[in-house]
Formats: sequence, structure tokens, C-alpha cells
Amino acid sequence: MRKPLRGALLALLLAALPLLPAKAQKITIAALTFVSSSPLFIAQDKGYYAEEGLEVEFSFFRAAQPVAVAIASGDADFGVTAFTAGFYNLAGQGALKVIGAQSREEPGFDFSGYFVSNQAYEAGFTSPEKFPGRSLGMTQYGSSFHLMIGMLADRLGFPLSEVKLVPLQSVPNMIAAVKSGQVDSIILPAHIIKALEAKGNGRIVGWVHQYTPYQLGGLFTSTRNVQERREVVEKFVRAYQRAATEYHEAFNQLDAQGRRVFGEKAEALIPIIQKYTKAKPQSIYNGAPYIDPLGRLDVGSVYDQIAWFKKQGLVDEKVDPAEILDLSFIEGHFNIPE
Amino acid sequence: MRLLFEGVGHAFDGLEVLEGIDLAVAAGETLAILGPSGCGKSTLLAIAGGLLRPARGRVRLAGTPPEGCLNPLTYVFQDFALLPWRTVAGNVALALEAALDRRQRRERVAEVLRLTGLSDFAGAYPRQLSGGMRQRVGIARALAVRPAVLLMDEPLSALDAQTRELLLEEFLALWRRARTTTLYVTHNLDEALRIADRICVLSRRPGRIRGILEVPLPVAERTAPGHAAVIGELRAELWRMIADEVRAADRELAGAAAAHE
Amino acid sequence: MSEPVREVPFRGGGFAPRRIRRLAPPFFLLLLLLWEGAVRAGTVSALLLPPPSAILEALYELAASGDLWRHLEASLQRLVLGWALGTAAGLLLGLAIGISSLGRTLGIPLVAALFPIPKIAMLPLFILWFGIGEPSKVATIALGSFFPTVINAYAGIDAVPRSLVRMGQSFGLSHRAVILKILLPGALPGILAGARISSSIALVLLLAAEMIGAQYGIGALVLQAGNLMRTDRLMAGVVVLSLLGLAVSALIGLAERRLLAWR
Repeated sequence: MRKPLRGALLALLLAALPLLPAKAQKITIAALTFVSSSPLFIAQDKGYYAEEGLEVEFSFFRAAQPVAVAIASGDADFGVTAFTAGFYNLAGQGALKVIGAQSREEPGFDFSGYFVSNQAYEAGFTSPEKFPGRSLGMTQYGSSFHLMIGMLADRLGFPLSEVKLVPLQSVPNMIAAVKSGQVDSIILPAHIIKALEAKGNGRIVGWVHQYTPYQLGGLFTSTRNVQERREVVEKFVRAYQRAATEYHEAFNQLDAQGRRVFGEKAEALIPIIQKYTKAKPQSIYNGAPYIDPLGRLDVGSVYDQIAWFKKQGLVDEKVDPAEILDLSFIEGHFNIPE
Repeated sequence: MRLLFEGVGHAFDGLEVLEGIDLAVAAGETLAILGPSGCGKSTLLAIAGGLLRPARGRVRLAGTPPEGCLNPLTYVFQDFALLPWRTVAGNVALALEAALDRRQRRERVAEVLRLTGLSDFAGAYPRQLSGGMRQRVGIARALAVRPAVLLMDEPLSALDAQTRELLLEEFLALWRRARTTTLYVTHNLDEALRIADRICVLSRRPGRIRGILEVPLPVAERTAPGHAAVIGELRAELWRMIADEVRAADRELAGAAAAHE
Repeated sequence: MSEPVREVPFRGGGFAPRRIRRLAPPFFLLLLLLWEGAVRAGTVSALLLPPPSAILEALYELAASGDLWRHLEASLQRLVLGWALGTAAGLLLGLAIGISSLGRTLGIPLVAALFPIPKIAMLPLFILWFGIGEPSKVATIALGSFFPTVINAYAGIDAVPRSLVRMGQSFGLSHRAVILKILLPGALPGILAGARISSSIALVLLLAAEMIGAQYGIGALVLQAGNLMRTDRLMAGVVVLSLLGLAVSALIGLAERRLLAWR
């Protein structure tokens, strides 16, 4: 009884939006100034959107949640962010569809890492296996950090209840808390924790990709775009894929020994990424995540995440991953459940 | 007990309000202090009870206090000064709490409430009482400590004329029986003539003793029709002493009020 | 010709609002029904404003799972402890300002300077001082309760007529007795009015205090629900907060009726 109601609501919500003229093909991209959003920036700077006949306007946000809200409300057309329980709950309301991949925790590519305070490290917290009995600072319940520690607990076979989870609302709070030893550990991207480790503020004891590789984030658009402006979405996806491929060739290469290598292609892209993220080159190299060249999703991972969040009571039982995903824009998604 | 004022003078912020007061209140005597508004009557009373330190001179208390006296110098206030959160019995008991145990306290409270006709109102709060009843509580509270000297600061002036008459009659009987030394401040000539053995007239600011008048009639006989002429004469004499002062004070205050506007 | 006679026209009345009995509950019911109807009809999105039925359902789920009581227990502990500490300290300083020249000289500028500081801004500092656990949360609530208590306590003492103090002195009451039997009971209406303010401030600060490092608590529940885009649960938390506020207000009302019966 609730679903048709929601549909009606959505239709009403969408009808209330001003109708855009089809030929103008203006789009708004909601983005965070993170390196993981790089393909969005590269496509703009190199004119891939323009070649597809798209006129792009960026709308920048400081947190992931508003990006998704902006798409759901129709204030923006496309966005990329990490998956969270809040994102899934919002997507479950039917207003947005995940059409492709953002970054992924891929073996061999250091991105999110387990970072331990000096005190805790000296007390024996030297590997992720030692999480039971320790505390972990994170932004919030239902954040990607919560998901990562949950997946780790499942993987290593300890109950998550043995880790004291401390919600701290923001990344700066997390950093401050681990520096001062108020929490034993945090999980954050490589460029941040490598810098922290270099300054002696704690130790990296492992990487998420080593334990629980998973689909970290996605590319999404509004349901209305999928339904009514399909060709715009297709054009956007083409431009995004071109840029993602370039990014992939520049930042996601390994040498024969499995070490990451960055060449001229990376050097060439640095100024573009720097322009949007204001990050230093070293930080960009350190914090460049693995991004699938064609934006293909690890679909199985998305199903697993939603199932895990549901188990925690953080995602509404009514949320159906099949309804959130629209796999028709990109070919070759991985691990599609039967 | 006797109360002796010796060269008492006082000033507020350089403004002289009392000057050269030499006065002896005899044991068992009721002395009325009469004067126009702002003559320092209340200041004199505050000094008498040790609530205000005089700028000059001193006040001395002579004699032995009566048996069971808990507070030799005891006030009855114009505004009653009752604690609104205490019942009648609670207000009367206030000054007894440090010295008497619960049983003694209950007995003494019951006794003074009976004397003042308040027994039925022991559990009432001041808010529920009329002005006359409130001042009865004030008087009961004063009697409860068995005072050596009663210091009464215009105790009836906040009451309407009929209530005032009622209380005067009731308590004149009481005072006569107890013969407690009393200093009674008032600006009401008739009141002074009804209760006082002697009436001390103060001049306007700075207050000086203008004269002391003896009332030669026993208190009980003053309202008798046969003494109306004597009382009338005394009243006229008092008014002569005080009229100029009142007139001057009236103009002075009006001037002061005008200056403030 | 007879002289004109007419009735005197009535010109008084009005300007005396009073409560009409039994009108408020049906009014609120109507409001809730309108709200529910608007969401069901699709006039308002359920995501933006969950209907009362969804909020009730979320409340029921929270209660049935036992989470609600864990959240309530955690919050009540912080509230009671923080408020009690802040109020006790506030009464002491308020009393010092109310009876001592030194207290007044030093205390009033101190309060004037510190009162306007947003307590929420102090939270990061409290976390550095007291750690992420309960003490920093309790301290935030205590600080918020402290200032209104100080101000109302000394204003309450100032409002006690000096004639009553003189009366007490004239009957030979000790300094201590004047404070305990005259100043404090006389300041009680002000102190209770302060308690009303400080308790509502404590409730507001509860939310801020539970932002950092709180696993349980109504404030944590509301924040979490917001982050999870569970607007029904968020509103359920807000309803609980509001009920909590009403309960506290009713308790203070009861205390007022008991302690200030003499008014």
C-alpha cells in the first residue's frame, strides 16, 4: 500500500520541477572535491561533455549526503559518492538510480587503511586481527567506515560488538581523536593516513583492499533522468567512461612486482585534478583510488552491503537493491546476482 | 527596662536627618514619637533597635530583661514584614526556633495566638489574611519573644480607620497588662494621644526634639466623654507644636518631588 | 415633547482571553489528521515530512526492539547528572552574588562575560579536557544549566524584600538563619523559574553533547536517523525529545505547586 503511494508522490514531486528544454542538454553535476571524483573533472576539462553536446555546471558540496539529496530532489543530475546506509535509504525511496561505479577497494591499490594510534600500537594493536577490544572512531553509524569495520569483522570472524564504535561526526574529529589517543583507531583514505604516519601520529596496520575488497562508491542520477532523458544519461556515461579510462591508465597501473607506478599520463592529469581538489601532487598520488575504466559496478558487493546494513537495522527492510540499480547504461558489470 | 538615647545624631550621604537626641524611655512607659514625614522618626527607631549604626551618640539599655525574654528589643513593623511562605504559626515561631525546642515553641505560639485572637488562623498564609489580621500576627510574633522594649514603627498606619480603631482597643488592654516599655512612632496625633504616657514631638529634618508632652490621664479613661475637653486641649497644643513643621515639610517634599521631575 | 430616553450602550468586555475547555485536544487531532491526509494524498512527500502514522510506527519499532529505552536511559542519565551538577554550582554562585559584595563584584561580570558563549562551541574543548566519554557530555549540559541558575538565583535573592531581612535581624536571627529561612525560601520562585529555563537548555544541549562519541541517547538517535535518511525515525526521536521536555516541565510545575503553595 505504501509503494504506489510513493510512486504518486514522486510523480508529483517531479511534475513540480521546471521542465527543461530537451535540446539545451544542460546538466548539473553534484560533486565533492575528492580525488575519487577525478573522472568528472577530467571529462569537463578535456571537453568530453562538450563533445557529447552537454553543457555542464558543477555544484560542489562538502559532505556526501547532500550530494545524494541534491540528485533526489532534482537540484542536480549526476553525482558520485561513497555508499552509505543513508544513501541506500534515500535511493530506496525511488528518487535515484545507481548507473555506474565510482571507486573500488581493489587488491593492490591502497586506498582506505586501518590507522592505529601510537598508544594502541605500542599496546599491541599491530594488525587488523587485533580489533576486538579496541575502539574505532568513525563519522556515524551507517557510514562507509562503519561498513568497512563490519565487513572486516565478518571476514575475520569476530563479533562487531567487540569493537567499541565511537561516532565523531566528522573526519577532522576522527583525526584529532586518534592523534590524542581518545580512540584507538580510525579508517581513512591513504593520502590522509600516510601523511599522519609520516608525522608520527600513529601507524597504518593494514589496507581495506587486503581484507575486504568492495565497491566503495557509485555514479548515480535521478530516476526522472533515467526515465525521461535517457539519451542525456547515455551521453554523460560515454563522457564519464572516456575520462575514467584515462584516469585508470594514469593512476591504476601496477608493475611486474605488483607495485603501483605512475607515469607521464598521470603527470599530465595532475594539474586538472589539482585544479578541482586543491590537493598537492603527492597527496593525489597517495590518495588516487582504483576506478574502473568503464564505470562497471561490483553488483554483488552492492547487494552484500545492503544486506549487511539491513542486518544492522540501518537500512530499511523495504529497500531493494534491484530497484536502486539500473545496469542498462554500462555493459559488463561484475558479480551480478542471479 | 529603660532605653536611653544619648546625643544621637545621624546623616544619610551628608544629609542630616537626626540631631542631638537625648531621651530616656522609662521602664513600663509608652513613649510616642510624633513628627511630620521625613523627620527621622523611623531612623531613630532603627537606631534604637540596633538595625542602624548612629553617626553620633549612642543608645543604651538599662535594667534586667523579663523572664523568658528571647529578644529584648523587638519591632512591630508598619508593613507587617511577614514571611509569605510561612503560615501564621510559622511566622510567630520564626524567632523562637533557635532558642526553644519544638514543644516549648508550640506552647508559646499557641499562647500568643490565643492572646491576639489568632488561634483559628494558625494554619493560614499571610496572603489569605486582611491587613488587620496580618498586623495581629506581627504583634503576636513580637509578644512571643517576651520583649523588654517594643519598638513600634507606625504599626497601624497601613490599616483603614476602622481596623485601626479595633486593633487599638484590643491591644491597649494587652499592653497595659504587660506594661512593656514601648517606643511608638506615629504621625497620627490621635493615636499618640490614645496610647502614650508621654509624646515626644520631633522637628522636621534634621529631626530635633521640639518638646515632650505628658498625657496626664490614665489610658483607660482617655475616650471617656468627661475627658474630651482635656484631650482636645492636648491635641490643640500638639498641633501648635507640629503644625509649622508639617507645613514646612509639606512644601519641602513637594519642592523635592518637583526637582526630581 | 418628552425628553429623549435611550438605553446606555454597552462598551466594556473583551480583552480577557481564557482557555476554552476541551477544545485543544480535538484541534490537535484535526491537525494530525490533516497532516496524515496531506502525505497520503501526495501533497507532501513522505521523505520530507513523514506522516504521523509512520512516526508512530517508527516509535513502536524503537520501543519494541528495546532501543528506545537504551536511548532514553543514556540521555536521562546525562540530563539528570549534568543538570544537577550545573544547578548545584549555579545556586552556590548565585547565592554568593546574592549575599556577598565580593561575590557580586566578581561574579556578575564573570557571568555576563561567559553566559553568551554558545555552549556547543565549547564541546570540542570539553572533549580535549574530559575525553570522548560521559564526562564531556555531562559537562556540556552542566555548563548550560549553570548560567540561567546563577542569574535566576541571585535575581530571586535580590527580589526578596530587604524589610524581611531587617525583620529577621531584628529578631536576632543568625546570618545563617537569615539565608536559610528568609533569603532562600524567598528566592525559591526565581530559582524554580531558573530551573524551568535551565532544564530546557539542558535538553537542547543534550543533542549537541550526544553528537560526539555517543552510542546511545535520544540526541544520538536523532542525529543517526538524520544521517541514515530515516526521517520517520528522526521525527520519532523528536517526538520523544518533546515528550521529555513536557515531562520535565510537568515535574517543575508539580514542584512549583508543592513548594510555592503559599502564593
